[in-house]
Amino acid sequence: MSNKEITSIQPDKFWVCPECDLLLNRCAIPDKHEAHCSRCGSTLISSKHHSIEWTLALAIAGLILFFPANLFPILTLKTLGLSQSETIFSSVKALYDSNLLMVAALVLMAAIIIPLMKILLMLYLSTCLLLHKPAPMLAWAMRSYQQLDSWGMLEIYMLGILVSIVKLIDVADVTPGVGLYSLTGLIIATLLSSTQLDPHRFWRRIEQLEKR
Amino acid sequence: MQHSALTQGIIICHRCAKTAGIQQDGETCPRCGTRLHRRKLHSVAYTWALLLASMIMLIPANILPIMTFKALGKGDPATIMQGVLQLVDHGLLGIALVVLTASIIIPLLKIIGLIILLLTVQLGWTTNMRQKMLMYHFVEWIGRWSMLDIFVVAILGAIVQLGSLASVTGNTGATAFAVSVILTMLAANCFDTRLIWDKHLEKIGYADHVGR
Ligand SMILES: [Zn+2]
Ligand SMILES: [Zn+2]
Repeated sequence: MSNKEITSIQPDKFWVCPECDLLLNRCAIPDKHEAHCSRCGSTLISSKHHSIEWTLALAIAGLILFFPANLFPILTLKTLGLSQSETIFSSVKALYDSNLLMVAALVLMAAIIIPLMKILLMLYLSTCLLLHKPAPMLAWAMRSYQQLDSWGMLEIYMLGILVSIVKLIDVADVTPGVGLYSLTGLIIATLLSSTQLDPHRFWRRIEQLEKR
Repeated sequence: MQHSALTQGIIICHRCAKTAGIQQDGETCPRCGTRLHRRKLHSVAYTWALLLASMIMLIPANILPIMTFKALGKGDPATIMQGVLQLVDHGLLGIALVVLTASIIIPLLKIIGLIILLLTVQLGWTTNMRQKMLMYHFVEWIGRWSMLDIFVVAILGAIVQLGSLASVTGNTGATAFAVSVILTMLAANCFDTRLIWDKHLEKIGYADHVGR
């Protein structure tokens, strides 16, 4: 291309691969289809069917499950007539009691605060987008959601629970509680929510609403 | 011919993927408010700095004990590796392998992977580009799973609280390990994969107008 063409390029007519910067012609992607970069193979667009409805439903499910997952015991250990229960918050407190303040804060963030914030942000976003309702801070909410995404670590916490159960198996009797079942549901809702989320559609909608 | 968007005067928001003209470099994205840059700022230097810091933290993380398991008043603080060996002694090979992978093998693979990617940019190794992208995505995805051992310490610390009968406390090695994991996650976030493709284009003679 010559320099003249360069200045006349309309940015909105193209896709740019965020991973390798390849310039691609924009085309329509039907629902349930994906577009991959022809050079580096990264997923450019992954268009989901009813993305907004799904993320709203999953955010509601997540919010409902969040409370039993945090309030009821996840595991109960019984041995010689003694018993001890564990919730996510009590594991944070155990680190605090071991004088590991930074690690306690980290677990508090990764296993309680960030998963809750992700659910609330998604609830707010998908409700406003579904109702086509211009609302304050939509772009902020989406940006924060994307920034927090990889710092919520409930599924890793779950693997930690499994490792702990196996470690204790010949020492004591460990029984799962209501918290564990709720936590499993919460993790499934969170994981499904991130696979059903179509960021391009969300950003386009946010842009339309903010222009009004 | 493969055009890099930047050589055509187009830049992309790294948060919401909106395209913009090069004249908007340094301004905020009109859609999400993130500051636009041609490439992530000081990507190579920041990635090296965070990576080196995490490598340094990995030394105390492996030398210092991360957890003390006391039964009937007996039990010494154990390092990550001693914890794995204890599991092997108890015949729990599967779980020993899971902990070994998450706590020792993954951190090493992440460091090696990021070093290869950084050297790719700095020394212009432009072979196996797609494999390098896969490697980056692997490093980015796998990083958080190293938090497993931290969660295990937290969960055991909360549930094994039976006074003088049995107790688990966390030790300072856990802080060093958690910091090291966070630093490698940040290092992976700072790395800009487009730089390896810029090098690739430079090698095959296209990127004459890629400005820094
Ligand atoms: Zn690409
Ligand atoms: Zn943006």
